Amino acid sequence: MRYVQEFRDPGLGRALAAEIRTLAADGRSYKLMEVCGGHTHTIYRYGIDGILPPEVELVHGPGCPVCVLPMGRVDLAVATARMPGVTLACFGDVMRVPGSAGSLLEARSQGADVRIVYSPLDALAIARAEPDREVVFFAIGFETTAPSTALTLRRAQAEELANFTCICNHVLIEPPLRALLDSADVQIDGFIGPGHVATVLGAEPFLFVPREYGRPFVVSGFEPLDVLQSIRMLLEQLREGACTVQNQYGRAVPWAGNPRALAVMDEVFEVRPEFEWRGLGAIPHSALALSGAYADFDAERRFALHAPDVEDPPACQCGEVLKGLIKPWDCRIFGTGCTPERPAGTCMVSPEGACAAYYTYGRHETEREPVA
Amino acid sequence: MTRGVGPEALVRGPGAVRCTTCGDIAESVRVVRADPGAGLALCVDDSGHELTVQTELVGPVAAGEVLLVHAGTALAREA
Repeated sequence: MRYVQEFRDPGLGRALAAEIRTLAADGRSYKLMEVCGGHTHTIYRYGIDGILPPEVELVHGPGCPVCVLPMGRVDLAVATARMPGVTLACFGDVMRVPGSAGSLLEARSQGADVRIVYSPLDALAIARAEPDREVVFFAIGFETTAPSTALTLRRAQAEELANFTCICNHVLIEPPLRALLDSADVQIDGFIGPGHVATVLGAEPFLFVPREYGRPFVVSGFEPLDVLQSIRMLLEQLREGACTVQNQYGRAVPWAGNPRALAVMDEVFEVRPEFEWRGLGAIPHSALALSGAYADFDAERRFALHAPDVEDPPACQCGEVLKGLIKPWDCRIFGTGCTPERPAGTCMVSPEGACAAYYTYGRHETEREPVA
Repeated sequence: MTRGVGPEALVRGPGAVRCTTCGDIAESVRVVRADPGAGLALCVDDSGHELTVQTELVGPVAAGEVLLVHAGTALAREA
């Protein structure tokens, strides 16, 4: 497909890295957060961290929806999947997220009907094909994914499909960014902004970051040259004392977003009073529930479901990783009690999670202090 | 090949298996055949996999156009 190779050109990458080294050679240090897990994956898959100068530190933000899913919501999914007659459909990474009573993968191995789908539309197809099953779609994701769920629910309503419901875990990007920026222990100089969230929201809604918090923000694409160029743009702003939102991902992101996507989200969802985030705690107005017009498709209402309050495992330090306070290898159970094969924390589950990215690409082998 | 339900919903790449949805990843696909009445289009990705895409968010599409797709829904046309 067009574009991909152009944005992985090694020569252009080396040139951008040289420009970044020049910009960073002013005696200061720069701490930049990539908000989105997709960026984290790109950074480690293509070794971007290895070609940056030591003055530029990348920290990994809360933009992986699996990584911020609290255990109580996983327990809710597992309990639903174990209900007689229920088929629970979910995205792939959710399968291995540990709850207090096991994961969905373990529930499936014990007989629960749990199916991986690529899109909400696939879950709807299951409901059409198997009218004797109650098909519950476990919806997860930021504003990028929420329109897909909304369109699917609109189809279900139009078809008067009675055996299709949704557990809505969709979350919003602005509240956790504000929570991070309001946190006294988080020191971030600039943000590599979530490009695909911005295809829906646009770049404009991120203006609060420079205007209210005085940090530059660059909406970025996901190829390696996109990320390098975004880092360069942030450094240029910081060097020049500028502070604004720039759109590096203009080939996909309109300044004002996608109005059709925003409209269907407004129709199908309403904002929850608050929602629990792994490592960040309860954040007001940070997640979506189904609106009254779609109440018939709300599995939490139809089956009287309730997510229990469950503490994270005491040894797990996902919260500090998600705030950028520690590196994954600083966690006391990284690579020992928590591995991609047997994750204890959510950041080790998804390949987009910071811990899994470090582990998969071997960063811990070179960066960890040897044990004496 | 058609993909959708099952383990193939994960994208395999060198050294990793990724979930397109959880990673907030969108991918480029080319429209093969549009069904404007249903708001759907049959598309093909880089690997030759066929997938059905919801197209309501980008308006009418035509064969040959390249769309940026996330979780089975086109979010944008590639400029």
